[in-house]
Amino acid sequence: MWRFALKEGGKWVLALFGALLIAAALSALADPGPYLAAFGNRLMAFLSLDPGRSTISGLPAARELAMHGPATADVVLLGALMALMLGLPLGLLLGTGGMRRATAPVIQIVSAAPVFCACLALAYAAFHLFGIRPDTASRVTTLFLPTVAVGLAGTAAVQMALRRAASLAQDSPFRLGLRRLGLTAMEIERVYVAPQIFAGLLESLGEVMLTLLSAAVVAEWVFQSHGIAELFVKSVALHDWSMAAPILLVFAALTCTAEFLGRVGSRVLMRAAS
Amino acid sequence: MLTPELTRLRRILAAAGWSGLGLIAIAVMLADFLARAPLGAAHTGPVLAAPSEAFPFGTDLLGRDMFSETLYGLSTTVAQAGEAAVLALLAGGLLGFVCAHLPRPAGNVLRWAIGAFAAIPALLLALAMVALTARGYAGLAAGLAAAPLAFVRAFDRARAAGRLGHAEYARATGISASALLNRDLAYEFRDTLLPTLARALAAVAIILSTMSFLGFGALPPHRDLGLMIAAARTSYLEAWWTVAFPALALMLLILLARLAAGLDEGERP
Repeated sequence: MWRFALKEGGKWVLALFGALLIAAALSALADPGPYLAAFGNRLMAFLSLDPGRSTISGLPAARELAMHGPATADVVLLGALMALMLGLPLGLLLGTGGMRRATAPVIQIVSAAPVFCACLALAYAAFHLFGIRPDTASRVTTLFLPTVAVGLAGTAAVQMALRRAASLAQDSPFRLGLRRLGLTAMEIERVYVAPQIFAGLLESLGEVMLTLLSAAVVAEWVFQSHGIAELFVKSVALHDWSMAAPILLVFAALTCTAEFLGRVGSRVLMRAAS
Repeated sequence: MLTPELTRLRRILAAAGWSGLGLIAIAVMLADFLARAPLGAAHTGPVLAAPSEAFPFGTDLLGRDMFSETLYGLSTTVAQAGEAAVLALLAGGLLGFVCAHLPRPAGNVLRWAIGAFAAIPALLLALAMVALTARGYAGLAAGLAAAPLAFVRAFDRARAAGRLGHAEYARATGISASALLNRDLAYEFRDTLLPTLARALAAVAIILSTMSFLGFGALPPHRDLGLMIAAARTSYLEAWWTVAFPALALMLLILLARLAAGLDEGERP
C-alpha cells in the first residue's frame, strides 16, 4: 500500500511540475524580452511562490487570486456538495441492472445539454417563477444560481462515474463464483459490488473536478459572479497572461490533487473491502 | 458481456444516430436552398415575433428569421466541429496509441507532457489557444484542446494491451515492433474509428459552442449556434424562442453524435 501511495505521490508531483511549466510558459508571454529568458525568470518566480503582477490591474496576481478565489471556491465546493448529495443516490438508484439500461437513453439526452444552455434555462426559470433578473447583483444570482448550475453538471459527472463503475462490476466474473458459494444477491451487492462502485467513483474524481471547474467558468460568466474562473476568461480576452497563468496553474493543481486523492482512496477502499 | 438484445438495441440506436447526422449534413449542405432568408438578413419580419406560420421559429431583435439563422448557425457549427473532431482523433487517440509503442522512456516523457495538459479543463485550453492565435482558428483550438485527454486514454489503453499475451508471444517469436504496431492499430481502429470520431464530434461541439458563447469562437456574419445564443442573452427572458431553437439544434447535434458513438455507461464520454 505504501509503495502504491509513494508511486502515486511521485506521479502527482510530476503532474504538478508539468502544470507549473505550462503556467510559466504562458506567463512568459507577458514579458517583452527574449522568450526563453522570460520563461526561466517566470519559472523561478513561480517556484518562489511569486506569480507576478496582472498587466491590466497592476495588482499582484496573488492578491487578485485571494480577492476572487473565495467566490469560485464557494461555487465549486457547494456545487460539489450538491453533486454528491444528488449524484450519489441518483447514480446508485439508476445504476442498478435493468434500471441502468432503461434510463441510459434519458441520461444521454440530459447530458447532451451544454452547461451554458442549462445556465440560461436556470436564469429563465428564476425570472419567470421568482421574478429574479439574472443581471441584478444579489446572493441569489451570484451564488445560488451558479452553484445550482455547477452542482447539476457535477451531478451528471458523479452519476455517470457510478453508472460506469456499476456497468463494469456487473460483468465481473466473481459474481457467479460467489453465487455458487451460496451467497445471496444482496450480500454480493453489499459486500463485494458496493466497494467496487465507490472505488470507481473515486477513480473518476479527477474527471469530476474537471467538470466542476469547466462548469464554474461558464456559470460565473453567465451570472456575473466575479470569481477566478470569470477572471480567467477576462484575462485571456485581454491577453493578461501573467494573470491567466496562475489561474490555470490553480485549476490544474486542483485536478491533479483530486486525481491523486481519488486513486489512493480507491485503493484504500478496495483493500479495506478485501 | 452485452446480451444479444442489448447489442441489437445499441446497433439500432447507433444507426439512428448516424442517420440523424446524415440528415443534418444534408440540411447543412442545402442551407442556402432551405433557408427562407439570406444569411444575416435583417428586418425580414417584425422584431421579436413569436413563432407563427409565417416564421416557424420566430424572429430576433433585428427581425431576422430564426429558422434561417438557426440553419446557418448549425452549418457553421457542423463545419467547425467536423474539422475539430478529425484533429482530436488524429492528435489524440491515434497519436496516443502510436506513442505508447515508442521505446518506454520516450513514451513516458510524452505521456507526462501531454498528461499535464490533460489536467487543464479543455475549455480553458481552447480559450487560451484562440487568444494566442486568432478567432478564425477556433475549430483548430477546440480539436487540439480535446486531444490531450484522448491521447492519455489511448496511451494507457495501448500500454495495457502491450502487456497482453499476444504482444509477449509476438516479441518472443521475433515479430518486429512496427509489425506489432500495425497489427494493434488495425485492431484498435477497425471497429472503433467511426464511433470514436462521433464521440469526438460530440465533445468538440460542446467546446466550440461554449467558446463562441464566451466570445472566442465564430466571427459575424458567420454566426454559429453558440454565438447566436450569446447574442440573444438580452432578449431571451421575454422572447424564449431566440435561445430555445438554437439550443435545441445544438443539443440535437450532440445527442445524435453520442448515439452514433454507441455510448453507454461503460464508456467514457
